[in-house]
Amino acid sequence: MKTTVLREDSTTARLPRQPAPAAPAGPRPHRRGPAGPGRIVGRALLYMALTGLAAAVLVPFAWMLVSSLKADSEVFTVPIQWIPKSFRWENFSDIWDQIPLWTYLGNSLFLSVVITALQVLTGSFAAYGFAKVRFPGRDAVFLAYIATIAVPWQAYMVPQYILMQKLGLVNTHLSLILLQAFGAFGVFLMRQYYLTIPDEISEAARLDGLTEYGIWARIVLPLSKPALAGLALLTFVNTWNDYMGPFIYLTDNDLWTVQLGLRSFVGMYSSQYAMIMTGSVLSVLPILVVFLLGQRYFVQGISTSGMK
Amino acid sequence: MKSLVGRPVRMVTAAVALSLLAVGCGNGGDSGKTADGKTIVKVAVWDYAKTPEFKALIEGFEAKNPDIDVQPVDILAADYSKKVTTMLAGGDNTDVLTMKNVTDYARYGTRGQLQSLTADADKLDKAKYSGLDSFDLKGDYYALPYRQDFWVLFYNKDLVKKSDADLSKLTWPDYASLAKELTTGSGSSKVYGTYHQTWRSVVQATAAAQTGGDLLSGDYGFFKKQYETAVDLQKAGAAMPFSTAKSQQVTYDAMFTTRKTAMVPMGTWLAARLLQAKAEGKNDVNWGMAPLPQTTANGKAVTFGSPTAFAVNKKARNSAAAKKFVLWASGPEGAAAIAKVGVVPSYTDDAVLKTFFGVKGMPADALSKKAMTPDTVKLEMPVSPKSSDIDQILTEEHELVMSGEKSIDKGISEMESRVKSEVE
Amino acid sequence: MTKIDGAAALKRRRRRTALVGWSFILPNLVGFAALTLVPVGATLLLAFTDWNSYDTPHWIGFDNFQRMWDNDNFWTALSNTAWYAAGHIPLTMAASLGLAVLLNQKLRGVAFFRTAFFFPYITSLVAVAVVWNMLFSPDAGPVNQLLRAVGVAHPPGWTTDTDWALPAVVITSVWRDMGYYMVLYLAGLQAIPAELYEAARVDGAGPWKRFWHVTVPSLRPTTFFVLVMLTVSSFKVFDLVQVMTEGGPGRSTLVLSQLIFREGITQGRFGYSSAISLVLFLIVLIITVTQFRFQRRSER
Repeated sequence: MKTTVLREDSTTARLPRQPAPAAPAGPRPHRRGPAGPGRIVGRALLYMALTGLAAAVLVPFAWMLVSSLKADSEVFTVPIQWIPKSFRWENFSDIWDQIPLWTYLGNSLFLSVVITALQVLTGSFAAYGFAKVRFPGRDAVFLAYIATIAVPWQAYMVPQYILMQKLGLVNTHLSLILLQAFGAFGVFLMRQYYLTIPDEISEAARLDGLTEYGIWARIVLPLSKPALAGLALLTFVNTWNDYMGPFIYLTDNDLWTVQLGLRSFVGMYSSQYAMIMTGSVLSVLPILVVFLLGQRYFVQGISTSGMK
Repeated sequence: MKSLVGRPVRMVTAAVALSLLAVGCGNGGDSGKTADGKTIVKVAVWDYAKTPEFKALIEGFEAKNPDIDVQPVDILAADYSKKVTTMLAGGDNTDVLTMKNVTDYARYGTRGQLQSLTADADKLDKAKYSGLDSFDLKGDYYALPYRQDFWVLFYNKDLVKKSDADLSKLTWPDYASLAKELTTGSGSSKVYGTYHQTWRSVVQATAAAQTGGDLLSGDYGFFKKQYETAVDLQKAGAAMPFSTAKSQQVTYDAMFTTRKTAMVPMGTWLAARLLQAKAEGKNDVNWGMAPLPQTTANGKAVTFGSPTAFAVNKKARNSAAAKKFVLWASGPEGAAAIAKVGVVPSYTDDAVLKTFFGVKGMPADALSKKAMTPDTVKLEMPVSPKSSDIDQILTEEHELVMSGEKSIDKGISEMESRVKSEVE
Repeated sequence: MTKIDGAAALKRRRRRTALVGWSFILPNLVGFAALTLVPVGATLLLAFTDWNSYDTPHWIGFDNFQRMWDNDNFWTALSNTAWYAAGHIPLTMAASLGLAVLLNQKLRGVAFFRTAFFFPYITSLVAVAVVWNMLFSPDAGPVNQLLRAVGVAHPPGWTTDTDWALPAVVITSVWRDMGYYMVLYLAGLQAIPAELYEAARVDGAGPWKRFWHVTVPSLRPTTFFVLVMLTVSSFKVFDLVQVMTEGGPGRSTLVLSQLIFREGITQGRFGYSSAISLVLFLIVLIITVTQFRFQRRSER
């Protein structure tokens, strides 16, 4: 699939170099690998390996879950207690009294949804311009996008804050939305994905009289569902879990996000660790739902029928 | 063609409009007055819900000044100075800023980000204000302390009872042998004689305060004895090894309230913390305080402490009211208000001490009272533009000495050479 | 199209294409330029000043860079960061690609496994730090117990040892990030047309051959993206180091972002911290452009 890879002249149509689809060679039954006992053993081994790995990967989450049911003073013990002395289920009800968790969840959800929607829409829109339309200045602008990713936020957060303060946007959700919705991440990711979509398709559409906007909306966007799902998923998670951005920009308690609310437990002289873990467990649940919804877009792809 | 474009474009427009709409009504008026005409004083504080003294001060002040509305600006403690630094850079107009430590104070003060309080400081009875000197920046004051924590020895009365040691005038060698004596058990039932928090101050600030050494000097020979005591204690198994404490993120209050240690040298803030835990039913340790063990056995109790202060922002909206709050909070009335919640005020007189020991659950035995009235309280870290650089170096080398990566002598000479070469 | 007004038409068409191109980019670019590009540009300029976040900055030329050159902390942080990147980039890439290929099959419970491997990325950092520090605990930790069981007499002290703290951080970070990049690879895998695999199969290629000759080349744009993002995030690593070791023991895990943060926010030397950022920026830029070039050359 050589035409599709990063090339600056990707708009010029080229014939694919890969062997033509093997249709003339005669219909072949889909071969599903060597059938029989070998295959079953292979499957069993695969499942065992995956299960083992998954278990290892989930250990810290298990610790989080166990800690959420402990008393504060039992969380950090040496050696670690994997089974709490007594299960404090009340942690899960107490937390709603301790902090306005509904408000925090609502704020986090609002920010994550708006930022994700804007990032996906403007990102994929701009990516089409970078990947499929050729015009002067394009590459320079794209380089600026990539280059800024390389600068750590700690370095420019103060100049950025001063700018926001001048715009009068500090202590509003709008500041965070503007800050995070137009990141380079989405543009870069979507551009790379669009490069894999053969130009022949858009050429054909152009001959059919579609405009560039039409091609984006009608052809490219539907084809890039898996990438859009991936981008939406990662943006949502990153926004949901962001702490420093909301910390610097949001002051009023009723604007706070879940991550800020959770950290407010950790004081210098007071540490409610069990509650932090309770809150962390609760804050992971929405992400879980989003992930399970988003990952479905990774199975219907064209490759699953061929990969074995 | 338009219909093809329509849908996604409309979606973008809708999303933008929605977010603007939802957010547009976020910021209200900014006049500096409440609707009923009270002057607003905004005070930057940390962990408002969990730090009772702020509430005590604000409510006390408002009761006396009904025309002023004090509004806390709640900032997370762990990242407090990050946020305040950023806010000030942006020209924020929060009226009063709490100075969490003197190093940050020195930076804000010398940069001219705070209003001068020198004239007000000069009018105070300085003998009664502990920690006021720390805010002297070449003769100028930009903040007034309202709280002064210093270090004492907390102990578990039930565990220490087994020994007949006199805790009122321990030297460090006495303390070390007592800690070894009180160590019992092994594995998960182990009870350590003492617990040293991983902070460098436990060793270094103690040594500086009690030997008269200077933490900014670049000569650190005076650390040696204190390091020997600390390293010896963990080698003997009487204190939790540094690397365990560090990597497991062990907390001193958990060690103490779960009876994993008989003693812990710590700042007086632990007292308020223990009281609060008791009130919540999470701590039933029978505890007391004793003076910090001493280097020289001359009957004098020398310790170190760190004051907390209020300052007025240079760009405050309501400077006069803000100043009024700072003066009230740091004065006798503010002191009385915070002593009531078990916090040690900077302003001290007999009445304040009486209030402090009258707090429910506060140990009021003679030894605890002695602990609360040390003869000398030195500053944990002297104020200078070099302080935070030196602090960093000392912290890094402290870790290496305590975790056994470097010998005490090697560590000390490394501190000396690094401070000399890296800090100009 | 007639030949008569061909040149003019071509010009018009070019202008129209440019207009169309810009119209695609602008909605994102406006927000991006105003709120990210401008502050980043300001930061790169501030590298040549003595700015302290409050007073008027003064132009001091290359003084900050001179100071950096002479400063031990900078070189320590640079070398730690480079080592971190050298471990983190290839390991995360291999792990995430492996997981993505395994989990791109029709498999019962695939949603569960994908979610499980994504979990490290969404588990609270505090929990991550605590559990990994426990796993790496020199005496009682499971990692060292295992090492002793297989005959390693003196297993390392991991996060408490200056030589092993960085490898411990790298292992934890690979564990944490592999699910994240797995998502990107999974998305990339969906773009590979099934015909390619069919064709390879017709040619008699086994699974291994198909992986190398179909999957890997087809994933190139995704791999490039992952590589750039991994490079950037390795050189900017901050959070995980902060919660796991705080740069210690000593300075053994001090990384550039921590130094930038410490010099800027904590010490108030924003000019100097901007200068370090500028160097970090240039390093990442050089690496990225090299990757870009290499990528293009391997095409020909």
